[in-house]
Amino acid sequence: MHNGILLTAAGWIRDILTFLFGNELLVNILMTLVGIGAIISVILTSAIVFTYAERKVCAFMQVRIGPNRVGGRFGLLQPVADMLKLMSKEDIIPNGCDRVVWSLSPMLLFVPSALIYSFFPFDDGAILADVNVGLFLLLAISSQAVLPFLMGGYASNSKYAMIGGMRTVAQMLSYEAPMAFSLIGVVMLTGSMKMSAIVEAQATHTWFVLLQPIAFVIYLITATAETNRTPFDLVEDESEIVAGPFTEYSGMRWALFFLAEYANLLSISILTTTLFLGGWHGPVLPGAVWFWLKVLVMIFVFMWFRWTFPRTRIDQMLSFSWKVLLPLALVNMLLTGVGIYLYQSLC
Amino acid sequence: MPKTETFILNMGPQHPSTHGVLQVQLELDGENIVHAKPIMGYLHRGIEKLLESRTYVQGVPYTDRLDYVSSMNNNFGFCRVVEELAGIEVPRRAEYIRVIMAEFNRIASHLIFIGTLAIDLGASTGMLYTFRDREDILDLFNLVCGARMTFHYIRIGGVAADVQPEFVAQAYAFLDKVPHFMEEYNQILSGNEIFTRRLKGVSQLSVEESLAYNMTGPNIRAAGLPYDLRKVDGYSVYPEFSFAVPVGKKGDNWDRYQVRFREIFESAKIIRQALDGLPEGEFMAKIPKVLRPPKGEVYSRTESTRGELGFYIVSDGSTKPYRVHIRRPSFVNMQGLDAMCRGMLIGDSVAAFSSIDPLMGEVDC
Amino acid sequence: MFGKGLITGMRVTWKHFWGKKVTFCYPEEKLPMTERFRGGHLALNATKCIGCKLCSLNCPNRALELTVTVDENKKRHMQQYLHIMGRCLYCNLCVESCPTQALSWDKEYAISSWYKEDMVHDSMSDQTSAAVSEVKPHE
Repeated sequence: MHNGILLTAAGWIRDILTFLFGNELLVNILMTLVGIGAIISVILTSAIVFTYAERKVCAFMQVRIGPNRVGGRFGLLQPVADMLKLMSKEDIIPNGCDRVVWSLSPMLLFVPSALIYSFFPFDDGAILADVNVGLFLLLAISSQAVLPFLMGGYASNSKYAMIGGMRTVAQMLSYEAPMAFSLIGVVMLTGSMKMSAIVEAQATHTWFVLLQPIAFVIYLITATAETNRTPFDLVEDESEIVAGPFTEYSGMRWALFFLAEYANLLSISILTTTLFLGGWHGPVLPGAVWFWLKVLVMIFVFMWFRWTFPRTRIDQMLSFSWKVLLPLALVNMLLTGVGIYLYQSLC
Repeated sequence: MPKTETFILNMGPQHPSTHGVLQVQLELDGENIVHAKPIMGYLHRGIEKLLESRTYVQGVPYTDRLDYVSSMNNNFGFCRVVEELAGIEVPRRAEYIRVIMAEFNRIASHLIFIGTLAIDLGASTGMLYTFRDREDILDLFNLVCGARMTFHYIRIGGVAADVQPEFVAQAYAFLDKVPHFMEEYNQILSGNEIFTRRLKGVSQLSVEESLAYNMTGPNIRAAGLPYDLRKVDGYSVYPEFSFAVPVGKKGDNWDRYQVRFREIFESAKIIRQALDGLPEGEFMAKIPKVLRPPKGEVYSRTESTRGELGFYIVSDGSTKPYRVHIRRPSFVNMQGLDAMCRGMLIGDSVAAFSSIDPLMGEVDC
Repeated sequence: MFGKGLITGMRVTWKHFWGKKVTFCYPEEKLPMTERFRGGHLALNATKCIGCKLCSLNCPNRALELTVTVDENKKRHMQQYLHIMGRCLYCNLCVESCPTQALSWDKEYAISSWYKEDMVHDSMSDQTSAAVSEVKPHE
């Protein structure tokens, strides 16, 4: 069987570990740790790369040149400088805040965004937990991200943070429904919720973006809303509520929110790639390369959205979700069902 | 049945979108605004009093600091009053140059309006584009008067210096660019569905309400009343130019945006006519070394970028004005804020005070 | 409607993404200052100055502190000419009021300083500047 480069690399590590320790159980545990380490490093690296990319993309679209001081003409070390700045900042704890809830919030936020990475097929076979209900579990875990926002907003003892926390709940809950319904079309086509099966189905047929264009559009919109990016960045809406739930955070705590935001951006791009753009499949180049190419394109698209559009208003955003996206997603389900029935009865 | 109560949210003076140091106390019922109360005075410098302790000539640079994004218009307003008081006849070339500068500054100020409205609605890219194009106007001003912000160019009796030939050439080049960049804003902002939905039908003020709040300038024209002092009073050489007064229909945020948007074209039209017909002659009238206007009082008004800018000066015959009062359009227009915000959402409050286009230097004076 | 405007907007940003940028990298590239630029320190050409004090009289904000001595021939000499930049409005009234055009701006606009005391500039300190060199003093 033909394997991707990631799996081959994992095989080598396993060989080395087996040679060193010999005990199969120990090797299995160590291999899991290696996988976790790989995913964590992917998240951290991506956060560093994306802060730089976001600044550059933003600058280029705004006819500026962006960071150009730290680390040569292109400002390549800018994320390092940013990180040092964040780490050296004072950790300000606001008066009258609920200390425990307040300090738990940034950490809890990072957990679900990191956890869902275990369901992503990065390459042929390179998937940490290829469970049968992968997609379902993924949506279930990612919806946990609502709670830390509310906790942070509630515990900060700040009115801006409180409004921000309330907005998060309204926004994330109402955009989860159309997102899940739009993904059902994909599941119907595949007949499985297993992530590797979804990728395989796209390799044998065609990319689902062609079969499910409506679902793709709905998914893109809901994904921007779930990651709290413009035009749906009402949560951290700086012109109205300063920074929403993050208003009172500083230093490394704030950096954790930031990290979670970019982890979410990456995961949502990976999900788009996996579900609609054929995952790691592609001609000539190895699977992992294709995968990252598609992911980077998706990330550029999300950044492009952010630096082009204004922000919606809370009532418009909610009514758009419940009155437009959700019915559209249901119609898409119906159309998919009819399509599948016709296809099966004709062929 | 749970009981709910309203709460007060202090927006500002340290807040990303209050255009300086405006504080707005919003009484909120959830996301809905019950009452909006602007609190000002954080930028008060006592310019009226400063003007009273300086001679007339020395007072002109202080008017730069009133509405600091359209200083030319303030200089213009103040100088016109003093000239009226002292009976100074301004040469025609100077009047033409003044009109050119005032209209250029109107374009610059309206570009800032579009930019700040865009960033208050979350479209930061739109802001950068307008500021990029405003920069060209500032370069023009820098060329002609040596400053980019506090121009002190229009003086009592004329202008500080004559315009150079390269200024005229660059001004024509800029006017040729106007339709291009306006089309770009059309594409990125006016045509954008999210942008239009944020503005249309929000914070409506009828003509009666606007008049009751004594609003002037683009704010009242947006409600549908073609009240433009350049037409109504026809001061300076404005009657010699043909230009339209854009008016809105409903008086909502969208109309306030559109009125200013179209005014940029009208201003460009005026500048082109003025540049074409720029007469030869003196740029400065003969004014005495020590200006002592006769006893008396004068109120004179000009159409500033934000509305009716009036100066009321009482002279006691000495070199310094006895009393100066400034009718600042931003300050008066702020009265409408509560009516515009009531019943709207938090997001609309930002759009509302952005669409009034207040400038804190002028509000607090 | 239906997102047409959104696509148009995205086309604009896409075009600018690849287009020319307008940023000036400030300390390396500097905008040329125009001939009429007002800013920086006041430079006094001491040979032209007749010590009439018109400049400080015309100053709206008392930004000029002058010390003038009168010698035995009743001729006035400027002893010290202090430009207090913290008070200066950069209105150009002093330069325009000078009967002998002895004043000029040195156009060095980067004048921020750490301490308030540094905001006082001795306008007679730099007698080698361009403003002075054009008129050769008598030996």
